[in-house]
Amino acid sequence: MSLRDVGFEYVTSDRRVIRALEGVSIDIPRGTTVAFVGPSGCGKSTLLKLIAGLLTTTRGSVVVDGRAVVGPLKHVGMAFQNPVLLPWRTVLDNLLLPLEIMRENGDPRTPNRVAGRDRALALLRTVGLDGAEHRQPRELSGGMRQRVSLCRALIHEPALLLLDEPFAALDAFTREEMWELHQALGLDRAFTGVLVTHDLREAVFLAETIYVMATDPGRIAHVHPVTFPVPRTLGELYGPAGTELIRQMRDEIRPRREASA
Amino acid sequence: MSRANVRRLALPLLVFVGLLLVWEAAVPALRIQPIILPPPSGVATAIVETAGPIAFHARHTLVTTLIGFGAAVGLGLLLGFAIGASVTVNDALYPLLVGFNSIPKAAVVPLLVMWFGIGAVPAVLTAFLLAFFPVAVNVAVGLATLESELRDVLRALGASRWQIFRKVGVPRTMPLFFASLKVAVSSAFVGSVISETVASNAGIGYLMAVAASDFNTRLAFGGLFVLAAMGVLLYGVFAIVERRVTGWAYAE
Ligand SMILES: Nc1ncnc2c1ncn2[C@@H]1O[C@H](COP(=O)(O)OP(=O)(O)OP(=O)(O)O)[C@@H](O)[C@H]1O
Ligand SMILES: [Mg+2]
Repeated sequence: MSLRDVGFEYVTSDRRVIRALEGVSIDIPRGTTVAFVGPSGCGKSTLLKLIAGLLTTTRGSVVVDGRAVVGPLKHVGMAFQNPVLLPWRTVLDNLLLPLEIMRENGDPRTPNRVAGRDRALALLRTVGLDGAEHRQPRELSGGMRQRVSLCRALIHEPALLLLDEPFAALDAFTREEMWELHQALGLDRAFTGVLVTHDLREAVFLAETIYVMATDPGRIAHVHPVTFPVPRTLGELYGPAGTELIRQMRDEIRPRREASA
Repeated sequence: MSRANVRRLALPLLVFVGLLLVWEAAVPALRIQPIILPPPSGVATAIVETAGPIAFHARHTLVTTLIGFGAAVGLGLLLGFAIGASVTVNDALYPLLVGFNSIPKAAVVPLLVMWFGIGAVPAVLTAFLLAFFPVAVNVAVGLATLESELRDVLRALGASRWQIFRKVGVPRTMPLFFASLKVAVSSAFVGSVISETVASNAGIGYLMAVAASDFNTRLAFGGLFVLAAMGVLLYGVFAIVERRVTGWAYAE
């Protein structure tokens, strides 16, 4: 996937133009995970939506699998900070929603019902929710809901997984568990991952490349390859190399914030 | 029935009976003329004596209410879906709807009578006019407040607007829709009784108007009690339906 000189402007309801992104050019090799970090409002979520085709670039182009993105891509997994499960469906039926949509749309990649169900149950097992398939979302804790939301993003085995601060609402311990879980899922399935996060440790743990963004206009300010071999451990993350990388990125983000404050 | 439910029914009933007893005692004690304020026992006698006509008129009111309510639910759903699904329709219609809703509907009755004559038609239409607004607004709100993240998740799967509407929009609107039904049925009831009072030859509203013009205070009060009972019943039925159908929205 590659982004060439991507720019995006929002026009607000009172006709002001907000330059959310400018001159973003990056390449994301297939099967790798990249992370975007940066101050609030620097256009991270916007970038994710441009990649998914939910927004259309006002400048430049996004190319996925050799084709320019013009409308919503049809086979992408997405998860957000808010798990947005459907409260009237059981956990299992929530997971099966993407497959229902694919089936209705005649997507040849749709597994049959039995296979889809098996896939959902296997995913639930991987995230430690076996036996929860018939429970209602409201009966789950926040962390459990987030895991279901992640499973829903993976059930159709997307080639592209887009995550917008998926673990931000979780407590520190659950979050670390989720990182390890996510890493395990990534080792099983070869998806290209794009992660937006506020948590620098999360970025270091999960991404092969980290893009530090700056604001006004939103742009890429620094690029950091993360060289630890995969799979990674929390020990490495909190070791000297990890800590040093995090410190460096924090310094890159912080002066800008103080200057604008 | 659970203890909590017994309590929820028994307490207000107890207060109600207590009030009736106070009323019963107060009328002779304060030397109030029964033609001004009959005691509850007198009202009860009137209801029993006039049971046949009351049943006839009550049925009439019920039927006009339900027809008006049914039409209101149908149009309210359609309008609500249109407003909730399209920003353009919303911008065009919502202000009009709010403006329309601020007209006191009783003022429309004379016009309806002019067009349709005295009878059930103005009552049905008044019921309809009062009832469709809450349905339309609730349905529209349910659709319009769809989380943008959920919409994004689905669109990134290739879901069409129609699929998002069917799979997510409609189900998540149902609790609001069913909540609006109990409000709408009460409004429809008010509408048909208002219309009956001024322009009908049947219905409890008509019965009360006639009783009042005959200075039959006992029967007028009897009509009032019947109306109260019907109102509570209609509201109760739809409140129960709401609980049954959309339990997930309340359990938390
Ligand atoms: N729908 C919109 N209409 C107008 N402006 C918007 C809209 N969405 C975002 N913006 C603006 O675009 C800029 C980038 O927003 P974006 O949501 O991409 O930031 P972000 O990096 O994800 O921030 P955060 O970390 O707080 O989530 C912000 O200045 C924001 O105000
Ligand atoms: Mg964001």
